Amino acid sequence: MVSEIKDTDFSKVIKKEASPVVVDFWAPWCGPCKMLGPVIDEISSEIGEKAKFYKLNVDENPVSSMEYKVASIPTVIIFKDGKPAKTLVGFRPKEAIKGVIENYI
Amino acid sequence: MSNRYDIAIVGSGAAGLSAAVNAKIRNKNILVFGNRDLSHKLNKAPLIKNYLGFYNIKGRDLKNEFQGHIDAMNINIIYERVNAVYAMGDYFTISVNQKNYESKAVIIAAGIEQTSPLKGEQELLGKGVGYCATCDAPLYKGKVVTIIGYNREAEQEANFVSELASKLYYIPRYKADYSLKDNIEVVLDMPLEIVGKDKVEKLVLKNKEIITDGIFVLKDSISPGQLVPGIELDKGHIKVDINMKTSIRGCYAAGDCAGKPYQYMKAAGQGQVAALNAVSYLDSIIN
Repeated sequence: MVSEIKDTDFSKVIKKEASPVVVDFWAPWCGPCKMLGPVIDEISSEIGEKAKFYKLNVDENPVSSMEYKVASIPTVIIFKDGKPAKTLVGFRPKEAIKGVIENYI
Repeated sequence: MSNRYDIAIVGSGAAGLSAAVNAKIRNKNILVFGNRDLSHKLNKAPLIKNYLGFYNIKGRDLKNEFQGHIDAMNINIIYERVNAVYAMGDYFTISVNQKNYESKAVIIAAGIEQTSPLKGEQELLGKGVGYCATCDAPLYKGKVVTIIGYNREAEQEANFVSELASKLYYIPRYKADYSLKDNIEVVLDMPLEIVGKDKVEKLVLKNKEIITDGIFVLKDSISPGQLVPGIELDKGHIKVDINMKTSIRGCYAAGDCAGKPYQYMKAAGQGQVAALNAVSYLDSIIN
């Protein structure tokens, strides 16, 4: 399951999780983001509870996007122990993203 | 389910058409994307001496032979430019302007354009360097943006970005009457290098330097890595094995985009191998 995350609860959510947190930075006007959305949904259902999945709308949440230097979307950041462990910029095929996430589980 | 094709072929040169012919013979439901010239390179070739069976043929005449062949087999080309091919898992989405197509397998036969990137461009990609200004524009709200434009479409993107950016520099790489908004500063100079540590800091040109937060490079043709995001490359070409398989399941590549030598017969041969393997792949996913 992929939940929405906002600036207000961002640091709280990523810090409290023991499992890796995957955040998909997206915006409604971005074509590649729309393609990545369903891919992330599928990966999330395949991986299950071993990682937490969130999506963050960069239009509505500029603070977190700035803090983690998101300069291009879609960007997927994998957080481990509250810190960014891996940043993936741009659309990637499902197997490629899933493989990277599994490295952090 | 939406209309999902068996094989989408991106490109209408020797590789793409040979793939199309072979996939059609195997009775697959195909889509071919390309242009009315079939291949600009083929059209421009004065005389070809190494295409077996057609000694000393003009490029234009060989193109007509190709056209006659696909017409006879009822293969139609969709005259649209493919912006990106997305590997969705079990299928592919082929994105053309304002429209998407879906297919189970893909053959990339898009040829190759030889323009080398600027120094620093690849290192800072996604860290301030981008290829789609309209995609990332809102991230540069109130910031300084530079657009290096290789064609007139880039002017439209510049006009859009200038509404959000605090300052926009436009560096045209062609000559024309630029239709740009008044607040855009046109810089007639040659870009040499993009400089920055963790993110873009400045653009070095032949005669000056521009301090900038973001740089968009807007070219005519799309490099293989942009065309198929996430595909594995080898020195600027799509990495393939002997079966023309790429790093993505169900995605094949053929012709110049899959490596040297850049020759018609090699392209046609690889297109055939790619098509036949795409057919076996389709058979394997049914069972």
